[in-house]
Amino acid sequence: MSDTWRYVGTRLLHAIPVVFGVTVATFLLLHLIPGDPARQLVGLHASPAAVATVNRRLGLDGSLLSQFRDFLSRLLHGDTGTSFFYGVSTRSLIVSRLPVTAALVALAALFCVVITLPLAIIAAVQKDRLTDHAIRVIPLVGLGMPAFWIGILFILIFSVKLPWFPVGGWGISYSDHLRALILPALTAALGIIPLLIRSLRAGALDVFNADFIATARAKGLREGRVLFLHVTRNALIPTVALLGLNIAYLIGSTVIVERVFDLNGLGSLLLEAVGNRDFPVVEGVTLVFAVAVVLVNLGTDLVTAQLDPRIRLR
Amino acid sequence: MQDYPGPLSRRDLIRRTAIGAGLLALGPLAQACSSNSGSSASGSSTPKRGGTLSFGRSTGVFLFDPANAFADNDVYTCDKIFESLYVTTPQGTLVPWLVLGHTVSSDGKTYTFTLRPGVKFSDGKPLTADDVVFTVMRCARDTAGPLSYLDVAIKSMHATGTQTVVIELTQPWAPFISDLSCFCNAIIPKNFNGQEPKAFFKEPIGTGPFVVKQWTPGTSLTLARNPVYWQRGKPYLDEIQFPIIADQNQRIIQLKSGTIDIAGSVPGAAVSGLKSDSSVTVGIFPSWDVDLLLMNEKLPMFADLHVRRAIAHAIDRKAISAAATFGTAPPAGSFFPPSVQFYDPHAPVLEYNLAAAKSELSQSHFPHGFSTSLLIPSGNDQYASTAQIIQSELQKLNIRVAIQSLDDAAYHQEFQTFHHEMFLNWSVNDITDPDDMCTFQCVPKGGGSYSYYTNYNNPKAINLVRLGEITQNTAQRARIYAQLQALVSADAPYIPLDYPPYSYAWRNNVHGFKGIPSGTYRLESVWMD
Repeated sequence: MSDTWRYVGTRLLHAIPVVFGVTVATFLLLHLIPGDPARQLVGLHASPAAVATVNRRLGLDGSLLSQFRDFLSRLLHGDTGTSFFYGVSTRSLIVSRLPVTAALVALAALFCVVITLPLAIIAAVQKDRLTDHAIRVIPLVGLGMPAFWIGILFILIFSVKLPWFPVGGWGISYSDHLRALILPALTAALGIIPLLIRSLRAGALDVFNADFIATARAKGLREGRVLFLHVTRNALIPTVALLGLNIAYLIGSTVIVERVFDLNGLGSLLLEAVGNRDFPVVEGVTLVFAVAVVLVNLGTDLVTAQLDPRIRLR
Repeated sequence: MQDYPGPLSRRDLIRRTAIGAGLLALGPLAQACSSNSGSSASGSSTPKRGGTLSFGRSTGVFLFDPANAFADNDVYTCDKIFESLYVTTPQGTLVPWLVLGHTVSSDGKTYTFTLRPGVKFSDGKPLTADDVVFTVMRCARDTAGPLSYLDVAIKSMHATGTQTVVIELTQPWAPFISDLSCFCNAIIPKNFNGQEPKAFFKEPIGTGPFVVKQWTPGTSLTLARNPVYWQRGKPYLDEIQFPIIADQNQRIIQLKSGTIDIAGSVPGAAVSGLKSDSSVTVGIFPSWDVDLLLMNEKLPMFADLHVRRAIAHAIDRKAISAAATFGTAPPAGSFFPPSVQFYDPHAPVLEYNLAAAKSELSQSHFPHGFSTSLLIPSGNDQYASTAQIIQSELQKLNIRVAIQSLDDAAYHQEFQTFHHEMFLNWSVNDITDPDDMCTFQCVPKGGGSYSYYTNYNNPKAINLVRLGEITQNTAQRARIYAQLQALVSADAPYIPLDYPPYSYAWRNNVHGFKGIPSGTYRLESVWMD
């Protein structure tokens, strides 16, 4: 166990330059692309003097280097700054939005697992039969259609025609939240599920031909036990790695899904902040996304190690 | 039901203010009161008290400080909490609001206002002349305030007693009452009620019909009834929620499904679909906006008058109205929108006429055409269609247009730093008097805008704008602005394309909703059954 903790510690240390790099790149990109927060704030009527006053108030009047120095020193003190537009701390904006996005990503990941597992195993067992082809081809539709389009279709079918789910929004109670998240989570998951099904099916087929499966069958284990205890566990290893990678993609896709389903999470906050050039908010949300991706990857490695005792964590 | 207060006869006002000279703003008052009585379009009877209205808007609220508000929904929220001395009716006229009226000295430089008695802030304290002096001077002196230039004519102001405010101007200033009606001059308590500005605007206290009940920046906003509002019995609604619904399809679906009661910013493309839904009413209200094609006169081709006139003749504004706005925005003529004071329906316009366009171009330095670019903000379907129509129309003159679509912040920076050739945008008047837009669009050094980033600089036009400001006589002003409209039309620094309305849609159980040409709406008279 102490090995695992040492591994986690080392990985977290390694994550620091990654997160730092992402943050610095965000800062530079934001300041180099055209678009001026002061002009967005004071509008068309603003005189050059008014723009200069606002720039001074926002700390945007110094050179890029001095702004970068201020930014770093704030960051080292754990301060992601104050939103140019809302006038409140970036942290408070993120804290109020984080639960929506975290719940959306978690539920989408759960959908990925519960939909992929049975379908992939059935496809593997029914290899080259009609069921197998259907399971491999139909979900590809999800891969081919953009998330915003699937989202609108879901809303039209499951919220407007059949009033099973709210058309959008977050609701008030926990049950509201859960109902509100089902369609968006499914939309986000559908973009990944086809990849996972193919990976798990291929993994399962490989494992079917392995000697230890023949041994398991030879010693008289029931087929169900063989399938779930031996085949699935072994076939899952590459799939978990793939899922881990794709959760990072999922976090990025919340930007679109949240907008279509009117969820005020981090994705929609990021979209708005980029549009307004609200630098501290963009930097703060990007930081949270970077940390989330690092943690998901670490989690993936830990789960893979649990599934496969041959993997050593170093 | 009376939407607008002030059931004061002319005689009442004279008696109560006890000052006889120069009573302005009374004509509009009487007019607004008579034309505004009656309830909603659906004709229901007595207003009912109570209920929570859910009003879906495209963005959240950034701040509650009227003097620093600029984003639409900041403005449309501030004016529910704070009120100005005068407000604009849906007809675009001014009515006294927190004042009973005003008088003007014979030299046109001293204004005396009498406050409406019985007005209280939401914490129960009475509105006093000191609050008015504090607020307006704060706005006037704030160099970074987005609209503080409207208060440019103010020299000084002081309170005489608790109910009278005297304002001295540097020169006679015809648009002054209109300037005061702007949301940036909405009244806050003196010295922020003894708080730091930041703390005050977190839990703001105003005289408006609603107070902030709950606000999580960027997430949710709920306003509740101000229990001590000065219009007895109003507002009718208990609460208003403003869910943020950025996606326009979402706003419409949520309205149709009854999740929200009113949807703002309804796109032209969705209007006919909504009109066929029997549970929903669509309201299209005239605005003070004009969609414009603007040209950068720092470039040789657009500095050439004949090129600009050729382009004006080449663009079919009826086609743009029909195809890009789905017929919701009438084709434009004058650069004044019809809802603004002194609009001249007979102003000469460079009509759509290809032969005239070719003849103008042949007289220019670019008889064989040229290549140029047209800047538009990305994500604006109407402007994307408009740009394509303009591109194909100008092709006939061998003017080859590349459409350049940039995200909003980059788009603004591009034309505000004169890196553009042509661009599409709309002109916005913030007040009922045309002076605001005339200064912005015709005076290079006015409003910080270089004639709306065209660099249009015609001393005759500048002179007419200045004359309009200092002329007190309404008939004379009308003549001045008619001349200005004709002159700008002939100079064609920008080409008015259409007059876009403000479109809203609401469930049929909502009554009394009306849009105001500035883009805002008053909600104290709205009720639900």
